[in-house]
Amino acid sequence: MIEVQHLTKRYGRVTAVDDVSFRVERGEILGFLGPNGAGKTTTMRILTGYMPATEGKAIVAGFDVFDQPLDAKRRTGYLPETPPLYPDMTVLEYLEFVAKIKGVAGPERKQRVNAVIERTRIGDMSSRLCSKLSKGYRQRVGLAQSLIHNPDVLILDEPTAGLDPKQIIETRELVKELAGDHTVILSTHILPEVSQTCQRVVIINKGRVVAVDTPDNLTARLGGSQTIYLQVDAGESDPSVVLGTIAGVMRVVETDRHEERVGYEVESEQGHDIRRDLARTVVTSGWGLLELRPMRLSLEEIFLSLTTEETDAPAAAGGETANG
Amino acid sequence: MGNILAIAQKELKSYFSSPIGYVLIGFWAFLFGWFYINILAYFARASMQMAGMGGPQSVNINQDMIRPLLYNVTILVLFVLPGVTMRTYSEEKRSGTIELLLTSPITDFQIIMGKFLGAMALYALMLVVTWIHVGVLFIYGHPEWKPLVGAYVGLLLLGGCFISIGMFISSLTKNQVVSFMVTFSIFLFFWIISWISSSVGPTAASVVTYLSIVDHYDDFGKGVIDTTHLIYYLSFITFGLFMTAKSVDSERWRG
Repeated sequence: MIEVQHLTKRYGRVTAVDDVSFRVERGEILGFLGPNGAGKTTTMRILTGYMPATEGKAIVAGFDVFDQPLDAKRRTGYLPETPPLYPDMTVLEYLEFVAKIKGVAGPERKQRVNAVIERTRIGDMSSRLCSKLSKGYRQRVGLAQSLIHNPDVLILDEPTAGLDPKQIIETRELVKELAGDHTVILSTHILPEVSQTCQRVVIINKGRVVAVDTPDNLTARLGGSQTIYLQVDAGESDPSVVLGTIAGVMRVVETDRHEERVGYEVESEQGHDIRRDLARTVVTSGWGLLELRPMRLSLEEIFLSLTTEETDAPAAAGGETANG
Repeated sequence: MGNILAIAQKELKSYFSSPIGYVLIGFWAFLFGWFYINILAYFARASMQMAGMGGPQSVNINQDMIRPLLYNVTILVLFVLPGVTMRTYSEEKRSGTIELLLTSPITDFQIIMGKFLGAMALYALMLVVTWIHVGVLFIYGHPEWKPLVGAYVGLLLLGGCFISIGMFISSLTKNQVVSFMVTFSIFLFFWIISWISSSVGPTAASVVTYLSIVDHYDDFGKGVIDTTHLIYYLSFITFGLFMTAKSVDSERWRG
């Protein structure tokens, strides 16, 4: 549905997007993840035909965005970072105007406007001026606007930015509902969003793609070892030596100490569940077991390890990010 | 064509859903009324004197009243039209709605023509306001209506030139105040460009006179529609819109 090949965009000497390639299949939700200034917005603007690429090409719904921009745009809905609302129009007037310029034929217009109003639940705001809307409603009207011509492809630039938690959940649900009939690209710098809504993730940093995979695979790929956090009340004795002798334990690092209470991070080999042995050892040694929990390598850490320059290899990153 | 009209309609509506349309038309009507009163008073005095002398030569309402009155509109547009064009692109760029327009299945040409027609419609509305004053002259006098057609065609074209340049300036900046000031300065320059003609050589003089937007209006004001001036105005408008198109396009490449 969307095919991006070797896309590069330079502003003068600055390279905003550098040789980016990826594909999105029909009906899929692709998460576009990266820190601020990574080139997410630029890539989306190229896909929507807002600006041309310096090199490379992008095909949206079967049309090259540069050679056949009108055909591509007719099949693309776009929600920019700031919803493009006209402050002086009411929501209804606004949606009718957008329907017109998006090429929705006269007879269908009314029905399409009503359909998106219902879908994005903005019915009670339809006669209000866009300038008087709250942030959450502005975002929803922006979403309604992008759906009005029932596009094959939806490109959403940070659709949940600035919303309250309830609205965020609603928006995510809405995006998931949409995925069946539409192909969605969604950009964000919030990681849980990706693991909750997207089937596939493109991680981009400094204009380059650093990883393309499913959220689960990414977690598995980088989680070379497992880490368990353990907090004990050991009194005078030093548990780290005893803990190190348990089968499967690779490393024991003391992370915090408050008087008697000591926290450790115990690293074990992949596929070796040492929690039972750890608990038994602590109890039989007569120490107080205060806390024991697995520290899963979160998407957050993967993201950090992939986008931080100091890390030299993803394999090493798995081990070094234990205190993230 | 549907897209052009959709944009034009949106533009015209936007003037009236904010105070700007009312302020501009109010300002226009007030100043035009002031010119009208003054010229009318002058005309009344002159015709009284002429009648008192009983000479064969009497004053002509077309020649001595309507023509100077409408000529003054060329001064009014200097101040009012930058206000009409200042927001055409600046406002869209500031609020980010330009992204909506440029990612919709419409061409840049359609957007520009839509905006141009929207601004022209507001300007035409202002010209319609002047019909009230002119209409009064028809009630109490017997002016010729035919020269008026030429004069209004001329004013419409003259305004078109200013609007096309104003749109170009607006497409260069996000800031409406900057847009207004730069547009006004350029308008003023085109208005006074021919002043220098007396102190430069004959070639330069003919060039600056040709460039002066207002000098081309003279014949229209007399009711003459001369193709020379018609072509000048139309090519000026085309040039202004072309520059706007290039500016919008280059903005895309630069980001």
